[in-house]
Amino acid sequence: MPRPGAVIEVDRNTPPVLFHFGEGIRLEKMPLGARIVYPPDPLEPIAHPERAIKRALAKPLEDDPLKSLLRRGMKMTIAFDDLSLPLPPMAAPDVRQLVMEEVIDMAAEAGIDDLHIIAALGLHRRMTEDEVRHIVGERIFTTFHPDRLYQHDGEDLENNVYVGKTAQGEEVTLNRRAAESDLVIYVNLTLVPMDGGHKSMSTGLASFRSIRAHHNAKTLLASRSYMNPPDSALHQSCIRQGQLIEDTVRVFHIETTVNNHAFPAVANFMQKRETDWTPQDQAMFLATKQMTDIMPPAFKRNVFHAMRAPYGMTAVHAGQVDAVHDKTLEAVRKQINVPVEGQTDIVTLGVPYLGPYNINAPMNPILVVCMGLGYLFNFYRNKPVLRKGGVLILTHPCRYEFDAVQHPSYIDYYDEVLADTKDPIEIEKKYEIRFAEDPWFRQLYRKSHAYHGIHPHYAWIWAAHAMEHAGDIIFVGADRDVVHRLGFKCATTLDDAFEMAEQTVGRYPSVTHLRTPPIMLADVEA
Amino acid sequence: MAWYSEGPLSRITGLVGGAIDDVLRVRRAWHWDTPRPHTWPEQGAVVPAEASDLGWARVEPVRSIRYLIQRVLLLPFTEAMVHPKVEGREWVRELERPVIFAANHSSHADTSLILHALTDSARDRTVVAAAADYWFKRPILGNIVSLFLNTFPFSRTGGAQAQLHSSSQLLKSGWNLVLFPEGSRSPDGRIQEFKPGIGFLAKETGTPVVPMHIQGAFQIMPRHQQIPLPGPIRVRIGKPMTPGPAEGSREFTARIENAVRTLSKEPRQLEFQGSWIERWQASKPREFRYEAD
Repeated sequence: MPRPGAVIEVDRNTPPVLFHFGEGIRLEKMPLGARIVYPPDPLEPIAHPERAIKRALAKPLEDDPLKSLLRRGMKMTIAFDDLSLPLPPMAAPDVRQLVMEEVIDMAAEAGIDDLHIIAALGLHRRMTEDEVRHIVGERIFTTFHPDRLYQHDGEDLENNVYVGKTAQGEEVTLNRRAAESDLVIYVNLTLVPMDGGHKSMSTGLASFRSIRAHHNAKTLLASRSYMNPPDSALHQSCIRQGQLIEDTVRVFHIETTVNNHAFPAVANFMQKRETDWTPQDQAMFLATKQMTDIMPPAFKRNVFHAMRAPYGMTAVHAGQVDAVHDKTLEAVRKQINVPVEGQTDIVTLGVPYLGPYNINAPMNPILVVCMGLGYLFNFYRNKPVLRKGGVLILTHPCRYEFDAVQHPSYIDYYDEVLADTKDPIEIEKKYEIRFAEDPWFRQLYRKSHAYHGIHPHYAWIWAAHAMEHAGDIIFVGADRDVVHRLGFKCATTLDDAFEMAEQTVGRYPSVTHLRTPPIMLADVEA
Repeated sequence: MAWYSEGPLSRITGLVGGAIDDVLRVRRAWHWDTPRPHTWPEQGAVVPAEASDLGWARVEPVRSIRYLIQRVLLLPFTEAMVHPKVEGREWVRELERPVIFAANHSSHADTSLILHALTDSARDRTVVAAAADYWFKRPILGNIVSLFLNTFPFSRTGGAQAQLHSSSQLLKSGWNLVLFPEGSRSPDGRIQEFKPGIGFLAKETGTPVVPMHIQGAFQIMPRHQQIPLPGPIRVRIGKPMTPGPAEGSREFTARIENAVRTLSKEPRQLEFQGSWIERWQASKPREFRYEAD
């Protein structure tokens, strides 16, 4: 029986705790009395995923069985989530591949000749052929690529159609192929509560015009947090857009969830609580630590990015989007929820080497902020673990390092925009349209493997809530110039960071360390 | 009785002397150490005396050695040099009966590219028809090529019945056959007219023909170039074709030629590559196929 998540109070016998440090790791002794929050152990995966998928398709939630929806001569489109999920990428076969193979079998049986498969990228970068192949599997790739398996292009004016406006005035656009299909089947993988539901279609197959309705500083500041959809303005907006899409096109939703078994056997120690480390885990930690200390960043990156997570599927649901998503969220919470009592003055977080937007690329400073302050900070329900005005301490080397292919607009954003102002609302006013409509960034997004020109802004505003909430943000072990450009403080060691924090929160502060990844959601009680 | 007698010694001496004389005569007549006289007429095509079918190359342990050579040398080299893009591999994934692979021919690299495009199981059961008058003029070269690529000598100049016999024997023994129906490498990269032998062979043996088109091989290694250069390659495999009951061998050859020419065009050619449903079902793993049955 997998153990639930745990909150441990540090005493004299508590071992030091693992901190992720970009493409490195550290072992830090936490102060006495501090709390360490551990995620739950990975849930048992479903033994026969194919059977579970077949069952879900045969008995969908609040919808007819998929087989009965398929008929010869219809125009059918399958859309699937891109490689930003899950993290790290899943060891083959990906659950999306398993689901799509079942769906395609049914479509073949029904004789549906007009079937297209679209990677729902939204404004993310185009994947390479190998990345697409990894998600969909060799069989689907060789049968459909490139003419019937391709990637959404949010800047292709001809192939995005205007659907309409929601009651709140949010414009909605949709991929033309999907909009003109008799049936769209969305195959999703939900790793965290932010994913899935109406957000899949309304961001994955949309254009900037549509996405900007909810990807803006105002909406994100009103999302407390966006990891908890009922309290998220972002999700309310997506739901409104999604409902409009559902009025336009028939959508059949399939959502899968996986457990939090994020690290392969060689990195077992990262998955385990320190109190569970065997001598073998300790040896692996030492070896990995030495390796990451000695090796150049590019080498370490190649090693880390080659890791594939042995995730196991924990649930699959199909049918009407809201009914499906409710069940999906339930399954996700079962895996990642950890009850935490009350808030603290200081929260410490280790920022790992990987976020959703730097697969096979370095995590540049803006993405470090997005990952640490955007994602990791927002993994809460009810209230943040950090009290208002508290200090957030993060560990990451935060080097001036950008991938010119994937993140060209990030370089300009860092050099030019952040030199001018750090205020998300002000940036939005001055720079949103310029970055979104820059012809060169647009060209790189469409033809190369670059994120959309506006993407660095989204990464930045993802952290807006944390920046507003925290009294101080300190990076440990980071490049001083970079951290100052980002508008934060820098400390050499964790102890120094605690010293600095005391100036903001006073002496003897309460401290909580969130030992993540694996992913967890702190359910903070009052 | 003569005062001398033809004893064993004199007989041996006479034999040896006669042999030396013969050799010298021949040597003078055919100018061993000087170039062929320009007054002589052009040398005719050489037909090997007795075309061996190189059966040794298709038995163990030679097959295992060839498997290793291909996996360690040939395929990685091909992959590294040209990273071929293969379309339609599902048609040769799990062949239920032998087939003839018919491809355009513009380069010596074609054979490696075809073998690279096949699945392991199909490649292991495939022989390549190699021009007898080119590859087997020097037996050592012919045998080495056979060890690497599993070739067998195929006459381009006649003896259709004998060729048909040896090829049909191979097909009956379960071997797939790679044939280049143009007969020789294209001088300019364009597809030449197909010779009717392939249609005849397919018709006589009732074997399906898998049309293939190789794009880019002429650019990486055209005629008269000894070393291949890196470059983009696309190998497109069409769905198997069978001769119709009322179809003549020439008509079937023309159909095969049309298929190969059509495969050379952009984008996908549904008529010859199959609809997605056909390709999807052809790529269904065998165990599931049985389960479904």
